[in-house]
Amino acid sequence: MRRQSLVKVLFVLPCVFAFTMVILVPFFYGLFFSMTNWNGVSETTKFVGFLHFGKVFTQPAFIHAFLASAAYTAINVTLVNAAGFALALVVTGNLRFRNFYRAGFFAPYLIGGIVLGYIWQFLFNSAIPALGKALSIEALQVSFLSRADSVIWAMSFVNTWQYAGYIMLIFIAAIQAIPASLMEAAKVDGAGYFRRVFHILMPMMANAFTISLFLTLTTSFKQFDMNFTLTNGGPATRFLDQPVMASQLLAMDIFNTAKANRMAEAQAKAVVLFVALVAVSLAQVSINKKKEVEQ
Amino acid sequence: MRRCIATFLILSLGLAAAVMAAPAKPATITMFQLKVEIKDALDAYAAKYGAANPGVTVKVETLGGGADFAGALKAKIQAGQMPDIFVIEGAGQYNVFKDYIADLSDQPWVKDTDLAFKANGKVYGFPVAIEGYGLAYNADILKKAGVDPASLTTRAAYETAFAAIDAKKKDLGLDAVVSMAASVSGGMWWVAGQHNLAAYWGGGLKFDDTSVIQKALKGQLDDARFAQYAKYVQLLFKYADKNILLNGSYDNQVSSFAQGKTAFLHQGNWVDPNLKQLGVAFKIGYAPHAFLDVEQKGLYLFAPSWYCVNPKSPNAAAAKAFLAAMAGTAEGHDYMVNQAGMIPAFKSVKLQPKGQLSQALMAANAKGGNYGVFFGMLPDGAGQNVFGPIYDLFAQNPAKIDQFISDMKKAVAGLPSM
Amino acid sequence: MTRVHRGARVLAELAVVALFALFMIPFAMVVLNSAKTAQGIIFDPLSWPTDWGRLPRNIGLIFSNSTVRYAGAFLDSALITFFSLVVIVLFSSMCAWALVRTRKAWATILFFVFVAAMVIPFQVLMFPLVRWMRILGDFLHVRLLQSIPGMVFAYLGFGCPLSIFIFHGFIKNIPYELEESATIDGCGQARTFFEIVFPLLQPIIITVLILNGIWIWNDYLLPLLMLGSSGAVQTIPIAVTAFAGAYLKQWDLILTSTLIAMLPVIVLYLFAQRYIIRGMIEGAIK
Repeated sequence: MRRQSLVKVLFVLPCVFAFTMVILVPFFYGLFFSMTNWNGVSETTKFVGFLHFGKVFTQPAFIHAFLASAAYTAINVTLVNAAGFALALVVTGNLRFRNFYRAGFFAPYLIGGIVLGYIWQFLFNSAIPALGKALSIEALQVSFLSRADSVIWAMSFVNTWQYAGYIMLIFIAAIQAIPASLMEAAKVDGAGYFRRVFHILMPMMANAFTISLFLTLTTSFKQFDMNFTLTNGGPATRFLDQPVMASQLLAMDIFNTAKANRMAEAQAKAVVLFVALVAVSLAQVSINKKKEVEQ
Repeated sequence: MRRCIATFLILSLGLAAAVMAAPAKPATITMFQLKVEIKDALDAYAAKYGAANPGVTVKVETLGGGADFAGALKAKIQAGQMPDIFVIEGAGQYNVFKDYIADLSDQPWVKDTDLAFKANGKVYGFPVAIEGYGLAYNADILKKAGVDPASLTTRAAYETAFAAIDAKKKDLGLDAVVSMAASVSGGMWWVAGQHNLAAYWGGGLKFDDTSVIQKALKGQLDDARFAQYAKYVQLLFKYADKNILLNGSYDNQVSSFAQGKTAFLHQGNWVDPNLKQLGVAFKIGYAPHAFLDVEQKGLYLFAPSWYCVNPKSPNAAAAKAFLAAMAGTAEGHDYMVNQAGMIPAFKSVKLQPKGQLSQALMAANAKGGNYGVFFGMLPDGAGQNVFGPIYDLFAQNPAKIDQFISDMKKAVAGLPSM
Repeated sequence: MTRVHRGARVLAELAVVALFALFMIPFAMVVLNSAKTAQGIIFDPLSWPTDWGRLPRNIGLIFSNSTVRYAGAFLDSALITFFSLVVIVLFSSMCAWALVRTRKAWATILFFVFVAAMVIPFQVLMFPLVRWMRILGDFLHVRLLQSIPGMVFAYLGFGCPLSIFIFHGFIKNIPYELEESATIDGCGQARTFFEIVFPLLQPIIITVLILNGIWIWNDYLLPLLMLGSSGAVQTIPIAVTAFAGAYLKQWDLILTSTLIAMLPVIVLYLFAQRYIIRGMIEGAIK
């Protein structure tokens, strides 16, 4: 028996070591820096306690970034999971060329960085307004990226386009793990397609939903790359009587703070992001787990 | 069982052994810079310099993609790989990196330039190049519209000229009069919040007169001067292509001008390579950003970045010699002007760059009467995080000039606490 | 009845095709514009290329560029991605299995710590990480910065939480009886894992491979911090940014190099799909 646990400890060891060195130690190192006046360069630092934490909550720009992140996360989690699930249903059905579609829906995930920003900026700023002009639809003629009320939706749309195929993969794995006989039996019993999906498929893959919701929740809240390349935080809008960036999410606010050489303040903001994310994802996982148990 | 553990151990050891293999590091001058445009030319010059100076190797690392250079430099410090020569872009970065910046006051090129980076009366930075701007114009279009560019020296003159061109937009094949981008979303906040605003800080003053920005750093705006400036911004926004203004990228902005769809371009001489890439054949010149009620004829000239030498490096002396050779030898001049296409900040350089706008700037520089560009004195992040959104909002609704003025007043009042 | 069904089916298939087209538009833009000059891309990104011969010429320009070592970056990226995936899949599945099958408090806590770590934003870690990698490397006399093994080590650390999380969810649903019977047969714990459990993980292993593989292949910030922008070891995303200056962006080369970087992943993905299905069939027979 003791030998058994020794094997298990050995099995756990490589990941624990790498994880500790790459994530845990730097994390606590960073936590320490958030309570100092570190500028990212200096060797000596002064301890300032929670000074930065008090300061960040008086900044309209940071509060706005926080709220924008929450809104974006809510929209994004819904859209990405709904789209990912729908795509998974489509490509696991008996469809011709389904492998081809599978690869196609997943392909956007392969385009990253500056190219993604370039393509979608072009589509939003030039192609869609041109289409609007051709069809004389007023609503399409002004870029969705330059309107404070639509920019978050535009970002969610692009993010759904990019990540739905990724989430689709997790759902496909879950759907394929369900014995086909179950669905067949229900079909013979006369249950309609949607009934089968909602009452048999979805409960059977509750675990996959826990994973995908958690994944989309955390990645949305931490969203940076696409924010940076697609909207760069713009356009400006007015919040608490101060000009702020309408689509600047938390991670980008942190990045810009660090870039302005306010390193310790950026670390403090990152800690706030971390705490918020832990709270939200704990709530999500515990609700999902409860559902899983109920099944 | 035992075999399983043994297999596992061998596997881990193999991995560890792979990690152990580390290559050796040769002793060389390392240089870290951010101008991708001059990468090839600089690499070639560094190789040539190495060949001419046995024992010296210059290794240039270039950060591409318009990435966060200061951030990458910080990562290098944390990694214990501070380069021997690196770039700073202003006072904010000087303050952050000053422990790693050598005093260069005794260098031979110091008396040959007006644009060295100075702090507390000492020289700390080698000016990489002169850059500058005014309002670039398409000479062919102005001629067809009957506008004499030499007359554009007051805001009133611009008002008349813009209205005249705007009226003939269809005949001239124009989308709009001015190609200017000011949006945060297009990544173009710096055109307005940095370069245009620099007109307020230094326009109409002596080249090294920093009184207006000094006042701002204490939190005060010169109301009368700013009111005139705000009207000029409003004028530009009014006649700018709306799509480019509100969400255009740099490429959108420059290509509109390059295709002859706009008569004016609000950019500096760094667009020369872009215009070449886009196959521009028409004649281009610079008109001043004349925002005052009185006449203004100068262009805005500055060194946007400086090379600094790391005094903690054993290669510091060799690094200084490398920079001195760049400023003081014929090969160095050839590299800066002919290969890299830059305007050197050294008076002894007699070569002419090829770009039309660079030539216009060099001519203006020789003539004198130009204005300094001082946004580098502002706290880090002020341009992007504070002024950027204010200009973006103003561009969305140029009628709200009072709001713009009061936003700017508030922002400037907050500068001392940044 | 059947006619209605057939009609609905055709409609559904049409809808899928339309959806597919929507997903392909931006992708098609990369392909179309890879066969243009920079001027052509900036002036008219939507048009059909006038000369497809431009595409091989652009590819040639990328590989022959003297200052951007694209071929070298391709190889380094491939090595980093390959070795990272090997260690991530192997160690994460081992770890997840040990955590699922250990009914003790430490296993639960450890799993929770892994999951919680997924919410840490990279921005919190990046500067302390580089500083710590230097200290750790000096201490162990190992080169972690500017080296391939260092990158692999970092990717194991960053990749294992998600992978453990996914494996954990999957292994939980594998009936314990399978392993029990193996143990009774006299098979050691480790052998039970490698001979019984690991083969069962095949479908989810492929998911883990794809998710991590693409992330690592496209990752920009971590390699930039750990390798530098033109050090001895380079990755493709870093090489691509060398075509993009602050002002002058060589879109022809940027888009073409992105296209080249995407190809191996697409090919691998299409190839791996067969194994997803095969894994399922084998699972059904057993």
